Amino acid sequence: MQHVKSPELATTVTPQPWWTRLGHALDRRERALPTMLLVPVLLFFIIWNVIPTLWMLGLSFYKWTLTSGRPEQFIGFENFQDIITDNSVWLSFSKTLIWVFGTVSIEVILGMLLGLLFWGSAKLPGRRLALTLLFAPMMITPVAASIFFRLMYDPTFGVISYIIAQLTGQAAPNLIGDRATAFAAVLAVDVWMWTPFMILITLAALGSVPKAELEAAEIDKLSWFKKIRYVILPNGKFILMLGILLRTIDSFKTMDLIFSLTRGGPGNTTELIAITLYRKSFEAFNLGWASSLAVILLLTAIAFTSIYLFVLNRKQAEEA
Amino acid sequence: MAEIRLERLRKEYGKTLAVNDITIKFPTSAVTCLLGPSGCGKTTLMRIIAGLEAPTSGEVYFDDVRVTDKTPQQRNIGMVFQYPVVYKGISVYHNLELPLIEDKLPEAERRKRIDDVAQILGLEHMLNKNVSSLDNATRQKVAVGRAVARQPQIILFDEPITNVDPNSRVQLKTALKRLSKQHNQTIIYVTHDQTEAMTLADEIALMKDGVIVQRDNPRSLYNYPNDVFGGWFLGNPGMNFVEYEVNGQSELGGPLFTRPIRFNNLNRDKHISVGIRPEHILVSPQPSAGAVRGQLTRKSIVVGGQYLLFIQIEGKMLKAKVPTSVGQAVAQEVWVECPLERVTLFGEQGTKIETELIPAQPVA
Repeated sequence: MQHVKSPELATTVTPQPWWTRLGHALDRRERALPTMLLVPVLLFFIIWNVIPTLWMLGLSFYKWTLTSGRPEQFIGFENFQDIITDNSVWLSFSKTLIWVFGTVSIEVILGMLLGLLFWGSAKLPGRRLALTLLFAPMMITPVAASIFFRLMYDPTFGVISYIIAQLTGQAAPNLIGDRATAFAAVLAVDVWMWTPFMILITLAALGSVPKAELEAAEIDKLSWFKKIRYVILPNGKFILMLGILLRTIDSFKTMDLIFSLTRGGPGNTTELIAITLYRKSFEAFNLGWASSLAVILLLTAIAFTSIYLFVLNRKQAEEA
Repeated sequence: MAEIRLERLRKEYGKTLAVNDITIKFPTSAVTCLLGPSGCGKTTLMRIIAGLEAPTSGEVYFDDVRVTDKTPQQRNIGMVFQYPVVYKGISVYHNLELPLIEDKLPEAERRKRIDDVAQILGLEHMLNKNVSSLDNATRQKVAVGRAVARQPQIILFDEPITNVDPNSRVQLKTALKRLSKQHNQTIIYVTHDQTEAMTLADEIALMKDGVIVQRDNPRSLYNYPNDVFGGWFLGNPGMNFVEYEVNGQSELGGPLFTRPIRFNNLNRDKHISVGIRPEHILVSPQPSAGAVRGQLTRKSIVVGGQYLLFIQIEGKMLKAKVPTSVGQAVAQEVWVECPLERVTLFGEQGTKIETELIPAQPVA
């Protein structure tokens, strides 16, 4: 039954006592707390992320070279036109695509194989130690790793060059100084660094496979290939996709590793797009042009991510 | 044909003893149920038979072949798990077909077998559906079909219908029964549900604390439990136990009996329990010869329209299951008779006392 408030009653409502009002105020405070906790992070994000990005977006429409001494000049889409028609940009862009495809596919295949190996040897002694050691490359600063490898690739006292010389019986090669081998040599370093990450991802994916499904596959006498195809992949594909996505984005913006190994050389053999960007902005100080390239790269990265997320979502919807 | 033989099988998890020295044979062409409460080691036992778990000690033989160290693949068995396990993202047909392909069966034979099981399990119209779109009960049917279509000599079921809704449960049970009679397979069926065991099994192995307490056909196991546990665990409600202090003597009388009953107290037990199933107790509103007087404290209707009576006799509580007519007729005062042929005596250790029960001549 519904109560209808009578007008007499409404007039007799006494003002709330002070403790009730304090309670309400504290209540509001409680709701304010989460907001207050978020504010520093948001501020940080705005100052270091949003504003620079917008600034970059703005700069990309200007002609502005720091060394020329001239003030910035609005030129619309001229920078973009310039970039699109620039052969060297296309060259380093296509190198980057080869780089991304090369590193990601090798790391994924190698990482999955090694991951499976580790997973299958769960009872082997020393496995934990081996895993820890295997993850070491991932934890090293890329610049430090580059220095290791520059030493190991060194034609006079590098251990890798020495081994190759011993194996082939020829003079020690200069792997990162030679146009023919530089790209592969640098790629090998990236593979060395990031394969452990894919091992980790593979192990996580394998861990997400229900034990009963694996046991059923055993009982049903499924072959290794079928077990991977029908049991492991359907359960672990989301984690694997996530790993591949992260590696792709990361690989796309590789800069520090190569820069400290070869500075993009010899010639422009290992000059990926991120290095082109660095050179234009911090060696030629052509900030307007560099900003335009950065915008293009950002859009490309977003496109990559969206494709992955789209596939991921669609598959997830399929499963549900 | 494959008889499963376990010899002195033992499995420890750290300090927990899951399976304690079990030696048993599971015959060919029969459904044997491993029945027992949760945690009694029945699933562990089955997993050892499947090869998914290695025993701490003891041996597993299929016929005369020792398989203790063999992998599940090498053992060539079928198994259905408690939770429906299907290969996600592919069709029902493909799910059923996968193990058959591994068994290198020709296409036509595969199709025939799949059609057969699909028909029994009621999956004919779903063969092309993606298993991921099915509910749990249907998925479990697919899992059963996958195990059965291979026609292995041994099929293990690990509580396959526990997680299925009641309607599909009946369906699955009927299908299982039909399937189990088709080929001469050795079927082991693990369950904690006595109704399931009673309806499906040719033989039941009753388990408790890692040991097989009794192994018999369902009727004998129910009527003649050789252990207090069997009497208590089976039946709904379980057996009545009335404690008697006999002090090593071979005679007992009230409160259950009107005259002294002689039995063979070989172990000179001081305490014994008299066990009788609720449905075996005769209850009547009028006095009769051989019946003792009791107070009715509570009555309720159970499934099937029978009445469950709670009767107090000289401080002892008895549960009796009686027909509707009797249940309706009785009031406060009832007369209770425990027919001697339905009574089992259990000794101090809870094991059955093998004895005849002889009524003494009534005192004139």
